[in-house]
Amino acid sequence: MNRILKKLFSNATSLVGIILLVFFIIIALFAPAITPPLFDDPYQIPRMSWDINPQPPGSLMSDDMKEIYGFMEKEVKWEKAICGTAEGGYDIFYGLIWGTRTAFKIGIITVFISMLVGIILGSISAYFGGWIDEILMRITDIFLSFPFLVAAMVLTTVLGRGLDKVMIALISFGWMGYARLIRGSILSTKEETFIMAAKALGVSDTKIIWKHLLPNTIFPVMVQGSMNIGSMVITAAALSFLGVGAPVGYADWGQMVSFARNWIIGSPGHAGQYWYAVFYPGIFIVLFVLSWNLIGDTLRDILDPRLRGEL
Amino acid sequence: MENKKKLLLEIKDLKTHFFTEDGVVKAVDGVDFEVYQGETLGIVGESGCGKSVTAFSILRLLDYPGKTVDGEVIFKGENLLKKTEDEMREIRGKEIAMIFQEPMTALNPVFTVGFQISEALMMHFKISKEEAKKKSVELLKKVGIPIPEQRVNEYPHQLSGGMRQRAMIAMAMSCDPILLIADEPTTALDVTIQAQILDLMMTLLQEFNGSLIMITHDLGVIAEIADRIAIMYAGKVVEYADKKTIFHHPLHPYTLGLLTSIPRLDIEMKRLNVIPGIVPNPLHFPSGCKFHPRCRFATDRCKKEEPSLIKIEEGHLVKCWNVDKVLKEVKKGLLVEV
Repeated sequence: MNRILKKLFSNATSLVGIILLVFFIIIALFAPAITPPLFDDPYQIPRMSWDINPQPPGSLMSDDMKEIYGFMEKEVKWEKAICGTAEGGYDIFYGLIWGTRTAFKIGIITVFISMLVGIILGSISAYFGGWIDEILMRITDIFLSFPFLVAAMVLTTVLGRGLDKVMIALISFGWMGYARLIRGSILSTKEETFIMAAKALGVSDTKIIWKHLLPNTIFPVMVQGSMNIGSMVITAAALSFLGVGAPVGYADWGQMVSFARNWIIGSPGHAGQYWYAVFYPGIFIVLFVLSWNLIGDTLRDILDPRLRGEL
Repeated sequence: MENKKKLLLEIKDLKTHFFTEDGVVKAVDGVDFEVYQGETLGIVGESGCGKSVTAFSILRLLDYPGKTVDGEVIFKGENLLKKTEDEMREIRGKEIAMIFQEPMTALNPVFTVGFQISEALMMHFKISKEEAKKKSVELLKKVGIPIPEQRVNEYPHQLSGGMRQRAMIAMAMSCDPILLIADEPTTALDVTIQAQILDLMMTLLQEFNGSLIMITHDLGVIAEIADRIAIMYAGKVVEYADKKTIFHHPLHPYTLGLLTSIPRLDIEMKRLNVIPGIVPNPLHFPSGCKFHPRCRFATDRCKKEEPSLIKIEEGHLVKCWNVDKVLKEVKKGLLVEV
């Protein structure tokens, strides 16, 4: 474990990844301090004005908006939109900060649960073999035959809007890779003599899977998982961009890019006039995904026994 | 004398077949033998004659496509083949333990040696982690591993081959099994280490009058430690007798072939004797006696009818039609003194 950490910190690319990740973790942890929420649901982005056009960075909250918040007995702690506002006067800075929490939630929860499902199904399938393997793998095949994005879109549409629905959809169609991966490595590991030796000592099946097989096979799955956290966030953003993801006004980077959809090219004669509307959420998505990919890459290099030079 | 000894394990007509896509492989096809308390049984044969499968069948360790289709494995008066999986798990490790051929791969690379020994102890004796660890250190000390306090925390890749085999023995012996099955335990080791490992196994077993089933193709090892020998060929026991009888009056052509193919120092031989041919493909066994294509005594009868295991004298069983011819050959005196 120490060796892994040491490698992670000594490698330049992974160091960049770690620094970015730490940056996002700090933002997510201190979100309530950086931008105190106005509403009971902190993920609801407050509006700075009723303007349909995005407003440039530094613009102030409109007077009628202040009046409304005052009427609602909400205490406004900041009046300046640091990164400007998106379509409909939504504060971009607030969305970025709280969107970080959303991104972590989506990435970690979906990957963790789909990894768990994949590991359980894959290891049962590989260890017991025979008709159990046959049934489980055919189910996996069926799920694999759906195009991921389309399937996730359809399921979210059926289930309805909302972040939880997005996650359910992503998990439903995201576990198969892990199942296949773990099944493959368990199939090769279970032929090793030490598994037979453990059986000959009277170790139970469950214990053999958890204690002898998984520790020998789980690393490729973990690498795959860390890389997938990024792509899950991208997919969730894509769903939001297409309008089937988070509800309107929810602090989610994908939705903020979606807000910018009509303003990307600017107005006639002023190309890129509304750059801030797409740039800030876009760069956050890119950096977030990049950080996970860099870390995943390094993890793969460290954990790959062929590159490790130990075997 | 022999009748006074306690019968520990009796195998009757054991048949283990593999149901592969190409057909049924009869890896073990009617094996009988007995193991008495405190005795060592040697199972000898070429590669692929079903020695290891016999061992796995005793402990019921084979998974699909392998299946024991017939026979009885009577251990302490109870048929193991009729036990439930949970009952079997109690017997594995505690009553019957096994040592494997490859010490390199028989230990789990991701756990310390101590953990792997403790695992069995904690499971069968329901003792705490600390006690199990203490006992592991004692066991490692007993099998002759220097600085056991340190070794117990090391991973398998930090140990040498001989040490790993010692650790394996410690693991197998951890719960004081009454029967130890050793599947070619010394094949992967240096000759110098082989003798040490054999000595170690025998000493440990004698401590509580345990029995040993020694599976090997090394007649030297067998001559050293076995009391009784079963010679296997193509999934069957072809000759079964005590050590002296096997080495002095073998009555099966295959046994004779094995014994005469040992290099001799005392007799000048231009060429080493060999048994012609190879072990037949288990998918297409020859008709009649399975050894007949390689047998120099073979007659027409051997091609058509399969001989059964005949009792020649008390405790000497042979599966051959031409026992008298072999006997004549043996009397010429080409065999090794044991």
